[in-house]
Amino acid sequence: MEEIKKFIPTEKITLFRSCLVSAEYPGVEASTKYVFDKLGVEYVIDRNQSCCTGLGHYYDIFDELSTTALAARNFSYAIKNNHKQYVPMCATCYAILKTSAKNLNEKEDVREKINKAFRENGLEEFQYTKGDIDPTNDITHVVDVLYYLKDKIPEHKQRDISGLNIATHHGCHYCKVHYDDTLCGYRNPEVIDKICEVMDSPALKWYDQKPRHCGGGFRQRYANRDLSLDATVDKFLSLHREKIDVLLVMCPNCQVQFDRYQYVLEEKTGDKHYYAVLNIAQLVALYMGADSYKVLGIQTHTVNLEPLLDKLAIEYNPKGDTLHVTEE
Amino acid sequence: MSQKNRIGVFLCHCGGNISDYVNLEEIEEKLSENEEICSIKHHENLCSLEGRNIIKDQILRENLDRVVISACSKITHGATFEKYIKPLNPYLYEMPNVREQCSWVTNDTGKATKKALSLINSAIESVKYNEPLKKIPTTVKDSVLVIGAGISGITTANSLAKQGMKVTLIEKRPAVGGAMIQVGKVFTPDKMSEDCAACLLNPVIDEMVHNENITLLTNTVLERSTRNSGNFDVILRKKPEYVNPEKCTSCGNCTHACPTFAPDEWNEGLNSRKAIYKPFPQAVPSTYTLDDEACIKCGACINVCPTNAIHLDAIDEIISLTVGSVVIATGHQRFDTSKRPEYGHSFYEDVVSQMQLARLMGVNGPTDGHLQVPSTGKVPRRVVMIQCVGSRDQMPDAHKYCSKVCCMVALKNANLIHSHYPDTEVIICYTDIRTPGVYEKYYKYVQDNGIQLIRGRPGEITREDDHMLVRIEDTITHTKQEIPTDLVVLSAALESSEGTIDAAKTLGVPLTEDKFVKEKHPKMQPVSTDIEGIFVCGTAQGPKDITDSIIQANTAATKISELVNGGLEVEPFIATINVKKCVLCGTCIDNCRYQALTMNKHSVRVGPIACTGCGDCIITCPEEAISIQGQSDEKLEASIAGLLKDKPDDEQIIIAFLDDIGNVSANNMGINRVACPSSIRIINVPFINRVKYRHIKYALTHGADGVFLGEYPDTPKHNDIRENVKVMKKHLEEDGINPERLLIHSVFIPYFRGLANQFKEFDEELQVLSK
Repeated sequence: MEEIKKFIPTEKITLFRSCLVSAEYPGVEASTKYVFDKLGVEYVIDRNQSCCTGLGHYYDIFDELSTTALAARNFSYAIKNNHKQYVPMCATCYAILKTSAKNLNEKEDVREKINKAFRENGLEEFQYTKGDIDPTNDITHVVDVLYYLKDKIPEHKQRDISGLNIATHHGCHYCKVHYDDTLCGYRNPEVIDKICEVMDSPALKWYDQKPRHCGGGFRQRYANRDLSLDATVDKFLSLHREKIDVLLVMCPNCQVQFDRYQYVLEEKTGDKHYYAVLNIAQLVALYMGADSYKVLGIQTHTVNLEPLLDKLAIEYNPKGDTLHVTEE
Repeated sequence: MSQKNRIGVFLCHCGGNISDYVNLEEIEEKLSENEEICSIKHHENLCSLEGRNIIKDQILRENLDRVVISACSKITHGATFEKYIKPLNPYLYEMPNVREQCSWVTNDTGKATKKALSLINSAIESVKYNEPLKKIPTTVKDSVLVIGAGISGITTANSLAKQGMKVTLIEKRPAVGGAMIQVGKVFTPDKMSEDCAACLLNPVIDEMVHNENITLLTNTVLERSTRNSGNFDVILRKKPEYVNPEKCTSCGNCTHACPTFAPDEWNEGLNSRKAIYKPFPQAVPSTYTLDDEACIKCGACINVCPTNAIHLDAIDEIISLTVGSVVIATGHQRFDTSKRPEYGHSFYEDVVSQMQLARLMGVNGPTDGHLQVPSTGKVPRRVVMIQCVGSRDQMPDAHKYCSKVCCMVALKNANLIHSHYPDTEVIICYTDIRTPGVYEKYYKYVQDNGIQLIRGRPGEITREDDHMLVRIEDTITHTKQEIPTDLVVLSAALESSEGTIDAAKTLGVPLTEDKFVKEKHPKMQPVSTDIEGIFVCGTAQGPKDITDSIIQANTAATKISELVNGGLEVEPFIATINVKKCVLCGTCIDNCRYQALTMNKHSVRVGPIACTGCGDCIITCPEEAISIQGQSDEKLEASIAGLLKDKPDDEQIIIAFLDDIGNVSANNMGINRVACPSSIRIINVPFINRVKYRHIKYALTHGADGVFLGEYPDTPKHNDIRENVKVMKKHLEEDGINPERLLIHSVFIPYFRGLANQFKEFDEELQVLSK
């Protein structure tokens, strides 16, 4: 294991919920909890938590001050709960929270402005004191925790998932916003790859366009749809050339881009090849024997997962999919 | 002071520069009340020969034992008066600066006179503590250790040896020559030609080999170094001599018999060599060598050696030396391109580095000088070069600096390809082309020869069918391009070599943030290091080309010659250790950044050349056993007391402790006639940490309204100093003194107007505080 320079928690964790995970792929959260439970990670979900503002922030709807104020509010809840280790499932939440903590610690005027706003509105309890949250050691991504505990993962093996052709796609906002906190490289990111290795299902060492982003680009996906999809095409075609079975991601934004838009991209390029898009937590949950519908939530995916399960000879009950109406 | 002193005070008019603003009669009247003052004399220009006679006459006539000369700055005439006070010891005088720091910056005669009197009183109190001292004569041993036998190390060694010094030249690798011997061709911009590097280097190597003053040790590294009264006791480790150089005839039978292969460093791993080998045909020394990591000790070589030269059980040799100086010429290494997986150097055969390209084109390279695409063996149809791989890069695993030589290297290799293979197209992808001076002409020449240039940094390289594909955005035309090519060449950054970092660590020399050896001053002292006696040259100090390396190497030799031949006399203001108090804890030794202190058997010794008298050790000593000769705590306190003597209650006084830079800046204030509040009384200290809390407390409780510390911030101790001020402010608070009365500020020589403003602001603040 490479030397880890930041603290990685296994307890006192607030699993920071993500709006995209909840709205698009709730199975990612269910899988994360499933895996954390198996690995003995102690965490809570905080009902008072608000959104990190990430999407809105990059749409220019939320300015940096509101984003930072909201983070201060969230931090105060985590501290009060005695679970101040923030572990987000989404790369954007991860980067936004870290940036906010840095701003709150380092920029006295910003901190004071926010605290003043809290005071003036009867929200004194949310006030932030310098150093309340350490951006490096108190905010870690789910993959950091999985990487840290990776050697324990095989102890919970229920299914053989070897033989898959896996490509990994790492979130830009995990790799490239706070470089110094990124585990296992960011030019050739390998943190997910290392988790795959312990499950005997190694990912491709390298493929053309590996470090390329997904193309989602928050507002770009909706406001400049062509630009966004053009950016995705290169990587998409490269994945086809590698004939992969699964694209593994760590951020719901990337999952949306490659899963929800897979048919659009096929149409755009005229190139067809089946591959499933899974979050790393979903794959680990699958390996540990989780139910494909109740835990992995594969019914919420656009690209069906059933062909992949068939390939792995994993049994499932199609009736578990209560989302889609099937003809009798 | 129990015994009464006999002090003489001399007041210089400086041709009106002082006397027009300061009422010297009034001063004389006040001073005559002091019974320790036995003589007071005026003169128009004390620095004149007539002045000398007056001073000398009074010293003899009045039997003076100490002298105060109220005149200009010590920088201007300190050396003059040092001589004029003969027969007194030259350290038994003080010079209050009544010109630059008083008459020239104060317009009101009343205020100027008051200030001058307090400056003179300070000098009178302080001079009582002066001790008769002597300049310290020193000698430096005329033997030198040069680490690294590349072009820089060899050049320094040759120059030193020719000046009669004994040089030990060590090289980690089995052969000398460094990077220059490997590159094959160098180019001469004036001639617009590429020349054979070995042909230029070999005569220099020959000279080194034949000079009897030079001992060359290859396969040798520096293991340990300890400072010993100005010298360096070093321990070298030489790898086992498996092949006896006396017996080896270089027949090559051993290589032929050896069954084991290892990557060939000489050819940058493009091919393999045997475990017993000669690094390259022209290697110096020309003995065969054995790579003990690759060797399987099968003994095949022993059986075929006709002279019995091979001994597989040889052990390494430990060599101990004492030298007067050390030169770090440990060179550079190239950026690890595997940190750029998007360029695929580690997995695509047809992506090579500039040095690999140089080997491919070198007549003594793996293809005998024929440029071939590694995967096909054919001449490339197109070659794409990528600049700034690892240089000028803001990412944490790269170098922010420009590697300085890569533009020239790429142009040279591009032009070489062009002249030998005119049908091969060469494209250089660059960030900026940096070809300063005459190199610009070569750049134009190469461009005219048809080499293409695209401004942009390729995003990635991939393989498609039988060729490579370089993806780049042309940042001039704003177009994305995919360039198909047979060969890709990466211009990897020059970075500090492992050997450089190791040597610096062993010698205790600081590194820059880029891990190169840090010079004492990057502009003014480019080959000296913080440790007196240790010098640096070539790429160990930063990326540079061969010409610059040679210039620096010769400079280093000259600097050593100065030390050895200069008959050095150093100022006596160095640390002294009270052996009765010293408990030999070693804290001062660890803390001294000049390595001036060393542990002897039963005492800590001070190296007079290395010690700068900064006094930083004083505050680190838990036993208060250290003082600076001639600059005791008591003397500093006496200066303060003198400044505050007979101070009326309504007068505001700020004591400004300025380091040498701050003092020069304050003098500049005077030279430029920038007004300065008359409350400011400057005391020049060698180093801000020299001012202890006791001094500050003494000043603030004996009449000073404020204390100003002026510190030149560009020293490694800056943070310590600032931290120390915070602690002192806390102490002040505990002692019931308003900490706002203590202020520290940065000083710079040209920033005298800023300093004047700082003084003014502090003066005004204190006026408010006192109300």
